[in-house]
Amino acid sequence: MKIFTTVLLLVLMTGAYASDKQGSHHAAHNHHSHEGHLHGQVVDGEKLQVDPQRFDNFIDGLSSAQIAIVDVNGMVCDFCARGIEKTFKRDEQVKKIDVDLSKGKVLIAYTDEKTIDFAEIEEKIIANGQNATGLTILKL
Amino acid sequence: MHLTIGLATFWESYTIPPMGIKWFSIIALVFSVELVARPISYTGGSTAMLFSDNMKNSAYLHYSPSYKYSLGIELVKDKHFDEDYALFRYTYLLNRKNTQTSQRNLYFQSGIASDGVDNHFYGIHGDWETRRWFTGFDYKNVSRDNIDYTNKSFQIGVAPYLGDYGDLHTWIMLKTKKNSLQSEWSTYPVLKFFKGNLLFEVGYGKKTQWDAHLMVRF
Repeated sequence: MKIFTTVLLLVLMTGAYASDKQGSHHAAHNHHSHEGHLHGQVVDGEKLQVDPQRFDNFIDGLSSAQIAIVDVNGMVCDFCARGIEKTFKRDEQVKKIDVDLSKGKVLIAYTDEKTIDFAEIEEKIIANGQNATGLTILKL
Repeated sequence: MHLTIGLATFWESYTIPPMGIKWFSIIALVFSVELVARPISYTGGSTAMLFSDNMKNSAYLHYSPSYKYSLGIELVKDKHFDEDYALFRYTYLLNRKNTQTSQRNLYFQSGIASDGVDNHFYGIHGDWETRRWFTGFDYKNVSRDNIDYTNKSFQIGVAPYLGDYGDLHTWIMLKTKKNSLQSEWSTYPVLKFFKGNLLFEVGYGKKTQWDAHLMVRF
């Protein structure tokens, strides 16, 4: 039993340091930009499938920013989504972040200077154990 | 209350192992946690917990270098063996499936005690949850003082309402568990609450008395 336990621990620890990819890392995703043409239906969240009131509250007070709306799989509880907020807030170009649990979306307000890269967002979402599957960018 | 007395007694009588980890006890007292749910944090995240049931009182702090595994230390006051020791713990995410409405996880968990590698445990923990439903199981094979025993538990739960991000979230759960040293299954209701980075879970069964978990992530 001791040998089995030791071997199992060694194997699993080796695996942990190996590839950090998640099985569904390469899930198909959509990247759609609304840069430069904000219009009412988008702003009120209807076409983005974001809770309209939540979206309005999010953009309230933001005069100039890029809004990244990220579709996330596996974001089923508040407690497990907390890491997403903490991870993105480390980026100085993130002005604000919010989570819409009911729609499975993460809203990120970036500075205008930020070049928004889906791969970077995807990596941060995976670091929290979920998968980013789509991105829409709005410009305020 | 029994739980409060139990934790107070634990902290008054716990003998700190000679490893310079007193700071951890202090942190764990301030922050608290739950041992089973979310045994791995986000990459670079830490979790601190306090736990109490009929078998032990403990404080556990773990750090996740990656979302795939966590390393931690658990200070244990073992009620059954009447011993104090520390467990160096390693948890690895074996499998995760994310969908738009659910997440499923399977973890390997293990620990080696400070008083010798003969005292250790290993096991599997699994869960599946949506925003409304939760189900999970836990299995541990424990070796302690040349005695081998198992801990098994199953849990199902439902969220009576779906809160938004930042709200107080509540789960009503039913848990059943069996420790092979005690030979009987104990089934009892559990309430789980979390808000922000803080989670609290409490359950009560006639056979096993109180279960309580307190957890914070940072």
